[in-house]
Amino acid sequence: MTVASNVMQCLSTIKGIEAQLSSLALNSLEEEAKAVFHETALTIANVKKDLQYRVLELERQEPQYKGS
Amino acid sequence: MPGWVFIITRSLIFLLLLFITTKILGKKQISELSFFEYVAGITIGSIAGEVVTGLESNLYHGALAIIVFGFITFLVNFLSIKSKKFSDFVEGKGTVVIKDGKILENNLKKEKYTIDELSALLRAKDIFQFTDVEFAVLEPRGNLSALLKKENRPLTPKDLQMKMGKEREPQTVIMDGNIMDEPLRCAGKGRGWLYTELEKLGVTLDNVFLGQVDSYGGVTVDLYDDKIQVPEAAQRPLLMATLKKTQADLEIFSLETECDKSKAMYMKNAVILQEAIEKLTPFLIG
Repeated sequence: MTVASNVMQCLSTIKGIEAQLSSLALNSLEEEAKAVFHETALTIANVKKDLQYRVLELERQEPQYKGS
Repeated sequence: MPGWVFIITRSLIFLLLLFITTKILGKKQISELSFFEYVAGITIGSIAGEVVTGLESNLYHGALAIIVFGFITFLVNFLSIKSKKFSDFVEGKGTVVIKDGKILENNLKKEKYTIDELSALLRAKDIFQFTDVEFAVLEPRGNLSALLKKENRPLTPKDLQMKMGKEREPQTVIMDGNIMDEPLRCAGKGRGWLYTELEKLGVTLDNVFLGQVDSYGGVTVDLYDDKIQVPEAAQRPLLMATLKKTQADLEIFSLETECDKSKAMYMKNAVILQEAIEKLTPFLIG
């Protein structure tokens, strides 16, 4: 496993977390829980952006692993 | 007319009358909270029994007596709601028997309770040592309510200063393989959503004996076929574990990388995730 593939794996986990938080925010009945889930989903989206940028950087540095 | 026809007709009439009387008097009558309800409950029952089986007695007299008893009880209840003094007089007040961990002998004597009876009532509440009790009241009904001292009370999340997420009552949305539309609407969901959730669990609707939705929109079911294992709802704990894993991953990346800029970025996001984990803990655990 290369660094690039590790980071990519982490990125997809984060995407999964974001999606699950969004679905929890939609499905919860309690307003407070809804709000917290929604807020955290937005925070996670920022983390996702940073990682996406990093993945692009790594792909530029190690083009042989692109898309793997 | 033969006797048994009489008994059948009278039984039916009085059953109906008793049903109507208790319906009008409400739940309070069933639990016999106050003196009047207690007495009325006994008397109405025996009048009905007497009239139903005693063929020589007059049907209308019995019915009248029941109506009078029912009406008086209704009136007393009505006045009790209007006036606190009246309700204290009729329904009685609680008597304090233990205060600050000390038994008040005078009040106990006034209520004609012996020490044995008091300790029996305490034991019924799992209290074997009277010094554990901060405060105890003999209710008008004759039962005992006891408040334990702070250190003897069961531990609650509040004592541990734990923050707990609020929870709504679960809604029962499937009964006997049928979808209950009203609770489903209360949970803010539709039939389509429920079908999807059932598909996720891998069960069919007609195999579900009981299905509930919790306040996080998770569906739990009990099946007719007890041999089938239903996957346990683990979405939230699993999400927590994934969050922790990702946070650790980011920390590892920050240690591994040599690029200073990326190091800082990884560390920043690891901290953000740690904060998110702390914020979500009350909602994802338990």
